[in-house]
Amino acid sequence: MRKGFTRKIAPVKVLSDTQIEYIHNSSLEVLEKTGVKLESERALKILKENGCIIDFESKIAKFPGWLVEESVRRAPSSFSVKARIPEDDLRISMSNLYFMPAAGAKLHDEKTGSLSVATLKENDQGVKICDGLDAADFQASYCPYFELKDIEPVMLLAESQASIARNSTRVSRGAQATDSFIWEAQIANAAGKQLIGTMEGAAPLCFPEDAVNAAFEYMDNGFPIWATGGSIMGGSSPVTIAGATVTNNAEILAAITFIQCYRPGNAVLANDFVVPMDMESGNLFFGAIGAGFHQMAFNQIYRELYRIPTCNAMAAFPNSKLIDYQNAFEKTHLALSAALSGASMIAFIGSVSQELAWSPLQAVIDNDAVNIIGRYIEGFEINDLTIASDLIAEVGPSPGSFLGKKHTRENWRRESYIPKTFDRLSYQDWARSGKPSVIDKARNSVEEIIKKHRPQPLSETQENQIQGILKEARKYYEKKGLL
Amino acid sequence: MADSIQSLKDVVLDFDIDRAEEVARNAIDSGTDPLLAAAALTDAIRQVGDAFGKGDLFLPDLVCASEVLKKAFPIVNDAIEKKGATQESLGKVVIGTVFGDIHSIGKGMVSTLLYAAGFKVIDLGINVKGEDFLKAVKDENANVLAMSALLTTTAMEQKKVIEGLKEAGIRDRVKVVVGGSPINQEFADSIGADGYGSTAPEGVKVVKRLLGIKD
Repeated sequence: MRKGFTRKIAPVKVLSDTQIEYIHNSSLEVLEKTGVKLESERALKILKENGCIIDFESKIAKFPGWLVEESVRRAPSSFSVKARIPEDDLRISMSNLYFMPAAGAKLHDEKTGSLSVATLKENDQGVKICDGLDAADFQASYCPYFELKDIEPVMLLAESQASIARNSTRVSRGAQATDSFIWEAQIANAAGKQLIGTMEGAAPLCFPEDAVNAAFEYMDNGFPIWATGGSIMGGSSPVTIAGATVTNNAEILAAITFIQCYRPGNAVLANDFVVPMDMESGNLFFGAIGAGFHQMAFNQIYRELYRIPTCNAMAAFPNSKLIDYQNAFEKTHLALSAALSGASMIAFIGSVSQELAWSPLQAVIDNDAVNIIGRYIEGFEINDLTIASDLIAEVGPSPGSFLGKKHTRENWRRESYIPKTFDRLSYQDWARSGKPSVIDKARNSVEEIIKKHRPQPLSETQENQIQGILKEARKYYEKKGLL
Repeated sequence: MADSIQSLKDVVLDFDIDRAEEVARNAIDSGTDPLLAAAALTDAIRQVGDAFGKGDLFLPDLVCASEVLKKAFPIVNDAIEKKGATQESLGKVVIGTVFGDIHSIGKGMVSTLLYAAGFKVIDLGINVKGEDFLKAVKDENANVLAMSALLTTTAMEQKKVIEGLKEAGIRDRVKVVVGGSPINQEFADSIGADGYGSTAPEGVKVVKRLLGIKD
């Protein structure tokens, strides 16, 4: 099982108990009075049988508060997800934290900031690089690139899941567009692993047919569900952090209720991806403080009241088009606040230029960043050994030194993290060695991973099965006129 | 009448959605020339559009001013029709977000700014089917068709609509402008569009350029 980071410090709180109750009650009021649209007659019938009031014409379900609270109780507070190899299995819980890559549409050129469409081969390499990073515990769906030169758009998700199965032994997420979940679930089963399936809303207060169908399929395969609303503050949710917390919460609680009505006890990872709108352009305002507060409130509510683990996806995307200070700051403050407030999974690694790009160089730099961010939740040990009173007495005042002591040699590594890509040379050494930047060092790390990292390959039988599934998928989309 | 004209301008410039209908109705009921009333509303939204372009106002201001117009204009338009008069415009633009895509913000911004610039705008909304774009272009005898797509998976819908215009034999009658985050000039050229705007204000400039209208 992957260890990730173990939470040893108490999560940071941004809400009082009364405020949590206020948000919860307001969410229940939305669910009871306004309701949530689910574009699936099958799902609406299930909800009706369980006590919801359904308007089949508008497809709106109104959820009684008792059913929502009962459903929340049914969702487990921790769960396991099987990877291709046991070492990569995940145990998602509120006492540990995993990191995952972000996805970006295109390949980023670090020199110019320009973007180009990646090939499937470059995607395979991107997946392999993520697999070679010690802190990338999980693979996203359609990852790392979600436009591929040699793959038709409708086949992208299936091919992407196959690329992950071939080049990584880690657990990955399933997607939902254009029936992709049929093939993604089959590919995962062929590779002998589980996915975290998805049920992704179209805010405000709506789950499209694809989202519900995907949830059915992934639950039928026994997979946990990544439930998410995904609203834009000021566009598809109120502009206020509190209002957006309520509508987003209502959306996710609706998903959890549906999931628990269909398959009681099915695991859920509640994902928070709520971004303010940039009121100058209408674009998403990544890296915003509003997003930070939102996810902190979300983590606290799901941890303290619902006991359901959370993922935070706001740190996944920077506005910066470059590998630079802005990029680092926009992502890091959100990842750090997510980690400190109790997230169990954080999307972070490799993203540049909003959702438009992914960079292998950024990925190895981000791997260093998350190794430091993750360490924050592990705190530091306080005991006789670490306080070392006897040693302090032995060394005494200056010119005493701790450097030559056994205690220093035995303990220094675990007290810190040594970044692979950050420059730590003295000025003289840095100047002598050609003034390398973090990007230069990242380039060496990427080359080393490509050269040395060899994820366990699929067996011939598994590969043949996956090829067969992709062939079936092509036939399916050809028949639908989409290929 | 001067007061009514000023009130119409103010209701837009104050973004006062709640009073929009009342102010428009009062203006018409008090005998204000509906063409002058329409000009007052257009003048005010143009001021809002210009301030947005300069960065003095923001998206909520622009969209709320547009909401004021949506409420006030039908009342003024009814009066214009009753009078048997017609309003002048720089041209007719049919606009919408393509089928399969429910993003409305960018399209709404372009729609409002085109309106503010003096165009007659027929906004078909979001998730618009190809046949509905074609019908609107024909029925309205539009000068421009503007299409938005925010997803890489729906961008190709723009091409389908352009092909539809060709098949219907009306491609030469209308200028086609495309936009949206996955769109760039190269893509616009590849699908046979006449113009591309990377931002809403640029979209308006492109429409003007294509119709030979000076800024």
